[in-house]
Amino acid sequence: MSRKNTRSSGGRKVRNKTEVSAELSITSLLDVLTIILVFLIKNVSMEAVKISEVSGIQYPTTISKEEIIKNPEVVPVKIYLDRVEIGVDGLFFGTPNDLGDTKKYDDLILFLENEYAKIPPDKKDQACLVVQADASLQCKYITQVVSVGTRADFANIYFATIQDEDWLSSYRPNLARN
Amino acid sequence: MAVYRPSQSRQQKSETGPREPNLVPIMNLFITIIPFLLMMVVISQAALIGLNFETAGGDGSGSGGSGPGGGDRQIEIRLYDRDDATGLFLGFETRDLDKKSAKYPYINGGFDFISMQAALEQLKTEHPDRVDIAVIVYPEVLYDNLIRTIDLCKQSGFVNVKYMTPRTMYYY
Repeated sequence: MSRKNTRSSGGRKVRNKTEVSAELSITSLLDVLTIILVFLIKNVSMEAVKISEVSGIQYPTTISKEEIIKNPEVVPVKIYLDRVEIGVDGLFFGTPNDLGDTKKYDDLILFLENEYAKIPPDKKDQACLVVQADASLQCKYITQVVSVGTRADFANIYFATIQDEDWLSSYRPNLARN
Repeated sequence: MAVYRPSQSRQQKSETGPREPNLVPIMNLFITIIPFLLMMVVISQAALIGLNFETAGGDGSGSGGSGPGGGDRQIEIRLYDRDDATGLFLGFETRDLDKKSAKYPYINGGFDFISMQAALEQLKTEHPDRVDIAVIVYPEVLYDNLIRTIDLCKQSGFVNVKYMTPRTMYYY
């Protein structure tokens, strides 16, 4: 926006051309955005999407929290109370009881072996099976999944939990059980 | 009377003065990228706890636990959740390297995790150089209780937790 001022000085007209800039300075805004962008790019992990919290599963709580290995090749197995989903795409596998079925058990081994085979040879050590299971499930189902994972050569098996540093002080046995 | 008028060269100078870079395209790019990144950010309290497996012969599950006659020297914690004719009791049991056992029954219908923590800390005090422990879990134990047990093991300094299931042995 410009404004032209005209003033008289001793009978001589002097046209004073003053530029008044009212533009918004976006330099500082750009600085802030750059910082946010760098921060987000540094923290964003595609693996986090694979092992994010899913609704429908009540996670167990733990005090401790472990860092997942660097650059993992994650294969999640989600065990709900009524169904089991496998892989990043969440393929429907069956019900938890199906894990005890010999045919389905073999199918799961085959699936995980295929997932393991897809991992590049130099990243085999980073193969990572993440078990996301409901806290109310019995351990026999977890045992089956861990057993299949180890048979498919997954060297790293993690259990997804919710971190709660005070669970021990607030633990009530009757609430935790079925 | 002559009218004052800036020279042609001055006029040109003001036209070719320093210009600020055009930041609008950069802003547009940022405004596009930032919501996209924010959408991908997952903010949750999700944590992970890992298992450790024996490299020689252990398959992580079903590999045993040292049942009657087991020769492995390891610190164990056994989780029972069945009260039947086999004589299993409801609760947990700790075994040190000498197979000295201590049993802790259920309290208020659940595992006594306060006692478990104390027992694990006691075991750690007795065996400060040991960092591995075997968690032997019976099939009906709830996953929640397994994870809490592994968690307390790690909190007590037993960072290498082996996940095992009980071995059934038959004698003829």
